[in-house]
Parts: sequence; C-alpha cells; structure tokens
Amino acid sequence: MKRPPMLMHMRIHGERRGFGLWLPLFLLLPLALVVFIILSPLILVAAILLWPSGWGKRALFSLRAAIEIFWSMRGLSVDVHSGRQRVSISVV
Amino acid sequence: MSDNKKKILEMLAQNKISADDAYRLLSAIDGGEGRRESTNKAETAVKGKAKYLRVTVLPNPEKERSGDYDRVNIRVPMSLIRAGIKLTSLIPSEARDKVDLALHEKGFDFDMRHMKPEEIEELIGALSDLEVDVISSKGESIKVFVE
Repeated sequence: MKRPPMLMHMRIHGERRGFGLWLPLFLLLPLALVVFIILSPLILVAAILLWPSGWGKRALFSLRAAIEIFWSMRGLSVDVHSGRQRVSISVV
Repeated sequence: MSDNKKKILEMLAQNKISADDAYRLLSAIDGGEGRRESTNKAETAVKGKAKYLRVTVLPNPEKERSGDYDRVNIRVPMSLIRAGIKLTSLIPSEARDKVDLALHEKGFDFDMRHMKPEEIEELIGALSDLEVDVISSKGESIKVFVE
C-alpha cells in the first residue's frame, strides 16, 4: 500500500542568507479529513446541482485526483542551483 | 528453429552423431534458451519496477570552478506521473481536441479521451527504457533517465 508523504523540506539559499523549513504534512491529513467531513454535504449538493452540466462529475474527479497526487508525492525532490542561489524541495 | 538445432539434425541425418548425442545436444540448447528467456523476463521485471524519473543538469567543470553555473537535480516518483496522466481527463474538450490534432500532425495517432488504464501502464513501462543524454554547447550535461 502506498504511504502518504509525511514531511516536506524546503531550503532556500540566497546570495548571503538562507533558510530551511520542515513542513509536517502528516499534521495536515487529519485537518484535511475534518474539513472534508464538514464540507462533504455542501460538496455533495454542489455535485448534484452541477451534474447535468457535466461539471459535477468533473469536480468530484478533481477532488479524487488531488488526493491521489498528494498521496503520490512521497519521494519528489527538486534541487536547483543557480550561481550561489539554491532552492531545494524534497518530500519524504 | 535455431541454426544450432538445424546443424545437430543435419549431423544426425548424415550419421555423424548418434540419436542419443543429438538428444543430449538439443536438450542442452533448450536449457540454455530457457535460461536466457528467464534472464530476459527478470530484466523486464527489474525495469518494470522503475520508481523515479530523474532529470539532471550538470554544469561544465570549468564554469563550476568559477561559481557561475546552473545545476538541476529533479526526481519525480513514477506514481506522481501516473496520477498526472490521469488528470488529462480533466482537460476541457476544446483544449484536448487541439492537443490530439497537434499530435496527429506530428504523426502520433493518439486519442487522449479514450486512454485506458492499461495504456497508461504501458506508457509508464515504456519510460523504463528512456535515456536522454545531451551535452549542450555550453558544456552542460543534461540527462533524463529512469531509475
């Protein structure tokens, strides 16, 4: 089973200064679940209302796709140096 | 039938070897081919387990010493690419038609609307063989590969 990403590490170094940031993604999951449960009746009503126009299906699919993309982000790593500047993002 | 098998059968027909010898030789050839086949299957299985798409841009060593260089190292999980491909169904039909038309003009008979999950898997599988290695005029080494 695929595990969701737990942490996102961002590092930005400029010419003189830089900073690093650890984002605890695992804390976002329970928060997102609570928000989803609260909003689910609204989402459902909106999907039913928009279903005849075709946007309802698309909206539900987008939600599923967003979750799937979030779940697949573990292992993503972007590291770019340009001269003395550096931006690094990694998801673990 | 392989050339080796033909030769053995010819030698048997010309009575140069006995039937027992021919049988032993043919069995040995079959065993070797079987092993080769299983090795190929194992290689395919290993390739099928490709986990990441890597894009790297390495600077020219001379420029690296001077400090004026660009270096890029990107690692994208295959699962993220798979999820991204599925997003094509969210593209508005007008844009999708334009993409299909542009691909058709380039000689790709490809319909994004009717892309099946098996085809997505096939596409991801084909990426396992991908390897791009380019050295730019500035001496930068650009590589795209799967690991």
